[in-house]
Amino acid sequence: MNCDKILSLFRSELITVNVGPKLFAEALEKQGYQTVQVDWKPVAGGDREMQEILAVLGGLD
Amino acid sequence: MNIYTKVERGRYIDSLETLLAASILNEQPGLEIGYAGMATEPFKDILADICLLTEEIKGCDGSCYVVAARAESQAAFDAAVAAVEANLAPKQEENGEGEDLPKAYPSIKAAVEACPRANLCSVAVPGEYALAEVKKALNAGLHCVVFSNNVPLSQEREMKELAREKGLLCMGPDCGVANINGAALVLASVNNRGPFGICGASGVGIQHVAAILHEAGSGVSQTIGTGGNDLKNEVGGIMMLMGIDALEADPETSYIALIARRIGDQVEPAILDRVSRCKKPVVAMFMSSDRAAVERTGAIWAADLDDCAQKCLRLIGKDYPLETEAQIRERAAQVVPCLAREQKYVRGAFSGGTFMDEAMHTLVEGIGPVYSNCPLKEQWRLPDSHRSVCNACVDYGEEEFTRGRPHPAIDPGVRRPAILREAADPETAVILLDFILTPPGHMDPVGFVLDDIRKAQAQTAAAGRQIVFVASVLGTDADFQNVNDQRKKLEDAGVLVCKTNRRAAMLAGEIIRQKQERDQHEL
Repeated sequence: MNCDKILSLFRSELITVNVGPKLFAEALEKQGYQTVQVDWKPVAGGDREMQEILAVLGGLD
Repeated sequence: MNIYTKVERGRYIDSLETLLAASILNEQPGLEIGYAGMATEPFKDILADICLLTEEIKGCDGSCYVVAARAESQAAFDAAVAAVEANLAPKQEENGEGEDLPKAYPSIKAAVEACPRANLCSVAVPGEYALAEVKKALNAGLHCVVFSNNVPLSQEREMKELAREKGLLCMGPDCGVANINGAALVLASVNNRGPFGICGASGVGIQHVAAILHEAGSGVSQTIGTGGNDLKNEVGGIMMLMGIDALEADPETSYIALIARRIGDQVEPAILDRVSRCKKPVVAMFMSSDRAAVERTGAIWAADLDDCAQKCLRLIGKDYPLETEAQIRERAAQVVPCLAREQKYVRGAFSGGTFMDEAMHTLVEGIGPVYSNCPLKEQWRLPDSHRSVCNACVDYGEEEFTRGRPHPAIDPGVRRPAILREAADPETAVILLDFILTPPGHMDPVGFVLDDIRKAQAQTAAAGRQIVFVASVLGTDADFQNVNDQRKKLEDAGVLVCKTNRRAAMLAGEIIRQKQERDQHEL
């Protein structure tokens, strides 16, 4: 397998996009690593039917 | 007591915060039981189980934040809700105010646009949403570490196939431990950097081996947690195979350690074949694999986690001596004379499955059947996890205890009642405990239970018995909680501390074995 992208990660400064509890981002920041928080919420407030409609319409990024 | 509720429409609290909210709620005075969270269907099921599902909550949807409790009065409920809010509020302010603090973005796409140098995505959303978020992250060019669990195996395969196609890591779902570029991700310990690359399907296993390497003055280049299901036939070991490729290609990695509890029969040949072609020395701890098959690949076979770490260290001419069987026998012999006649059994209270399994396998060798909520054999299942019988171990990370609360690695309160309950049983001779350190975890997990340990010692002494505590602490001196400080607190309280979980289980088992021998002689 081509490992270029993984080796590039190993050589780079780690910057983490955190999707979910802020506790994990805070733990990384305490270790001195940069994080970017995503304010995640279930799409359409967790409404299953609406999620399916949005997916069909391409509304889920 | 009556049921009181509070509903806030349009407010979203993430899953871990709601669990912490529920923990805080249940510690408030005047409340019999309470629960908080987003009003999803699984949340309503839990409320129904604990008889808190009202008509009002039935009508709520997943966009409503709900607090429900059986309380002695409206005032007690309001005070409890205020206590929860006090713990949630500072984080919200941090997020919304203060210009120098990082802003939160509405989506992965927006986060990557704002920070194009981002290279990893940590995903910890409810399992049903994990695939969608991981696909977004991989499509945005981010490697992923996925803590979410309960992801269907077909979806795990889908995300890992996409990762492989893109040449990106997808560690998890259900990945508890990974160390990338020196950072401890999810529930990993903080480790020194060093020449060992670890790839494993057991988070605690990786953490354990890495911690010993650290303690012996070496360290890890990278650790890649694949998630516990990666080696199942349905997933095909995709990430284990990619991990071996990456560690083999990584110039900072000189040696590779591989850790797996069970490998699917259709996956094993591919893994063993890949190991046989690996150009770097490999130490393999494949618990379910045949030793000869592993050794035929040219890898160094390791019997257990302690052995894996020790065999890694031997590759660099270092040694990390663990307690020997003779030392364990001697230590046991010192405490056995203090046990009262009726004290016969070991009671283990564990914060996770890997260490409990390891302890039970170790105990069974010396003292026979060990009863449990997750037993090694079905006939050893405890009818009630809150009531131990004979020699028994309970995993407090199991869903029956963590429903409505965070995992004991984050909230040690889940396991707390076990100490006094087990000590109150006159047949308990030894209480066996594990402690696991991690940056997002409790800042003083040992301190949290010390009062109960002392109380248990005092209560048993008053009843004319002496209870023996045996424990191990997994972590490093680079963890914020410092493993040495945590061990010292236990030792100062009279707890017998062993270097590893397996050694602690060996000591606990040896105490029980010698006690049985003494009782037989007396007869």
